[in-house]
Amino acid sequence: MESIIKVENISKNYDKLPVLDNINLSVKEGEFVSIIGPSGCGKTTLLKILGGLIPATSGDIKIRGSPVKVALERREFGFVFQNPILLPWRTALKNTELPLEIFGNNNPQISSKKLLKIVGLEGFENYYPKELSGGMQQRIAIARALTFEPAILLMDEPFGALDEITRNKMNLELLRVWKEEKATISAVIFVTHSIPEAVFLSDKIIILSKRPAKIEKVLEINLPRPRKVEVKYSKKYIGLVKCIREILKED
Amino acid sequence: MHKGNSQRGLKEIGIPILFFVGILIVWEVIIFLLHIPEYLLPRPVQIISEITVNFNSLLGHLGITMLEAVFGYIIANIIGFVVAVIFAHSKMVERGFYPYAIALQTTPIVAMAPLLVLWFGSGLASKIAVTAIICFFPILVNTIKGLKFVDENTIDLFKSYSANKWQIFVKLRLPNSMPYIFSALKISTSLALVGAIVGEFVGASKGIGYLILTSSYHLETAIMFAAIIISAIAGVLFFKVISFIEKKVIFWQKPEEF
Repeated sequence: MESIIKVENISKNYDKLPVLDNINLSVKEGEFVSIIGPSGCGKTTLLKILGGLIPATSGDIKIRGSPVKVALERREFGFVFQNPILLPWRTALKNTELPLEIFGNNNPQISSKKLLKIVGLEGFENYYPKELSGGMQQRIAIARALTFEPAILLMDEPFGALDEITRNKMNLELLRVWKEEKATISAVIFVTHSIPEAVFLSDKIIILSKRPAKIEKVLEINLPRPRKVEVKYSKKYIGLVKCIREILKED
Repeated sequence: MHKGNSQRGLKEIGIPILFFVGILIVWEVIIFLLHIPEYLLPRPVQIISEITVNFNSLLGHLGITMLEAVFGYIIANIIGFVVAVIFAHSKMVERGFYPYAIALQTTPIVAMAPLLVLWFGSGLASKIAVTAIICFFPILVNTIKGLKFVDENTIDLFKSYSANKWQIFVKLRLPNSMPYIFSALKISTSLALVGAIVGEFVGASKGIGYLILTSSYHLETAIMFAAIIISAIAGVLFFKVISFIEKKVIFWQKPEEF
């Protein structure tokens, strides 16, 4: 398959501090890729560079053959950050519609109401963020990222602040939403701290080393889809989790 | 729920009133026991009768003072807000003017009042000017703060939509600054009254400041107390009105206690 993201020799320094060191990777259409690595290694920086929020010091990124800046302006990226980052003065629905308002898009393919339904928030359209739980707030953030049907979903530890039960539930929800919206979202880049989460969700896991981050290893995850919770009890899953744990331990 | 609310409301109003009555009684007793002359400290009964007898005239003076205070307040807050927006958008303008804004703030308003009366005459305009100057700084500083202190991540979110500066201003910075702006608006309510009354001290023929000054010349201390009390009540009401608007505007946040 075609690669949707192609990263060549990306390096990033903050002043003199090297953060990323010669990163090469490619993401295929329809792929779910996780980025994992020791904390503070530059995962978030890599994600922000991929999405055009910060420039790389050197190297080249192409999104379907175009420079990142062009892709950003074409609104090909949907970001979900660690915190929901909702505007407290807007209702769930109004928060979901924020990108459409900014784009001046009055005729989205899928209505924001329907997206809220997809992420399981039907009936909460007129609630304000403070009236909703952390998990519900993060669902709004996901719905918001889907409103304009971005080609690439960039997620930076989106469930990192949630408790484990909610987190597992959100993982399943994410896979379900991704499947339902697969026509439009072609790739997901998912930064996480959690090895089990990465294995459960991904087609491919990119393991980064300590800062300055290099690519330590790229693992293909050939677990069958659609993934159910039962996958987590399979030998293959447990083996993969163990294998990644070993790799990260060596650092 | 409803019952609880009204009970709390009763406590909120009832307890201060009870204390107030208590203070008045102690006041009366002290004057009686220590034989304090009326021109130093009038009895509460005298003050109350002064207020009721001269109610219309007091209200007339208060009306003038409030007119000056509210006008100056509105002018200062509009100008202060606009200047803050300009400051927040241009580092150069901010660097150039900010020191003078601080200088204006640190100069005692009482020192400037005679000059303003000289320039604007002894009518309403000079009091409005004094009020405007004293109310200018809080709104300037707070609006700048509110426009600038926006969460980095939220800016990232807007950037990821390639939002332009105007969109970030209207959809993020402006609503974000509302709590800061209202905090300034509340502080300024009391400053506005100070400005108007100080202006009237310097040169006026009506208003609460004028009334306080003339009654002090004639040792009509009861009138002076009446004027002070009525201006205090007006100040509290002014503050309450702004607080009420604040709760309506910033519905998403618990308002800070002042």
